[in-house]
Amino acid sequence: MLATPLYNCDYDRVYEPAEDSFLLLDSLESELSFLRSIFEKDNYFPIILEIGCGSGIVTTFLHQHAIPTNKGLYLPVDINPWAIDATLQTIKKNPPTKDLQTTTIVDPLLMDLVAGLKSNSVDLLVFNPPYVPAEAVPNLPPGTNDEGWLDLALLGGEDGLVVTNKLLNNLHNILSPKGVAYILFCARNKPQEIQLRMEGHGWKVDLIEKRKAGWEVLSVYKFQKIKTNF
Amino acid sequence: MKFITTNFLKCPIKTCDVSNDNYPLQYNGEKCELQQENIEYKPEFLIKILDRLDWEAVLSVAQDLGNTSLPSNKPQILDDGVEKDAILRDLHTLLLQTNIVEGEMKCKNCGHVYYIKNSIPNLLLPPHLA
Repeated sequence: MLATPLYNCDYDRVYEPAEDSFLLLDSLESELSFLRSIFEKDNYFPIILEIGCGSGIVTTFLHQHAIPTNKGLYLPVDINPWAIDATLQTIKKNPPTKDLQTTTIVDPLLMDLVAGLKSNSVDLLVFNPPYVPAEAVPNLPPGTNDEGWLDLALLGGEDGLVVTNKLLNNLHNILSPKGVAYILFCARNKPQEIQLRMEGHGWKVDLIEKRKAGWEVLSVYKFQKIKTNF
Repeated sequence: MKFITTNFLKCPIKTCDVSNDNYPLQYNGEKCELQQENIEYKPEFLIKILDRLDWEAVLSVAQDLGNTSLPSNKPQILDDGVEKDAILRDLHTLLLQTNIVEGEMKCKNCGHVYYIKNSIPNLLLPPHLA
């Protein structure tokens, strides 16, 4: 089993890693040989995007263990400036070991989803979205030092899917031809319906991990383009 | 932000997507503060990195930042010639080692300015543009 990164952030402002974060790490670990089989070939240089990096634990896990391969550009993205700080610190605390011989760049970006990213660039996308059903997706707090940053990491509007759907509906413009996305859901998001819908739009969708966590049932799904449809 | 990342950033304003001027962003050479960071030189990786880059955009941003010495065409798969090694070393310095620590970048279509502070680019939009 691969080691979990060390982390320590200000949890009044940044989402504290919890069962959902750890399920995502376990999913990515179980996908390790699949990801290596795609990205190790021909010394390919992949672009890795994590949306909503929070504490930085997921991007750090990937970077530290050379997932998907020992080179690449890692772009952890968040709308919360505190999360960007936390991610930088977590990355620094957990360098990859020398024997992995990595050549990597980690460049955190303050950005809303993929708004400022050139289209069809992302090879590996990981997203632990704000998936809790709520009346609405909260607005950005007016100032960096104001309260409300934590709510943004949790509340996902109707069915907890407003933010996730924004990404899914645009996924064909985000991923590269080799691209693969891992997205976390809770049962109230009705992930099986999403799977059917995305399969209808020409995506290959697989359930990677499913786990009961307290009163929630969490799952991670993998999305890949089926080439003939694009 | 490392130079290589500039190759993947466009204006986040949706209405600029119909324009060809939303990518790459235009960097304000006078306001940009650059630092060099040491990264191990691996020519075999660099060639693969070049595969992923839009060369026109590399040239454009390099010129914004005062570097006009790059070849006008993307260097092709290279033999071990000393001259080519020199090009790859230059690209290694530019793409991977050059960090834009502070600065400004502007959309050539809408003119909106985005800032880089403590090496972090801020591409968030004010509510009326988001």
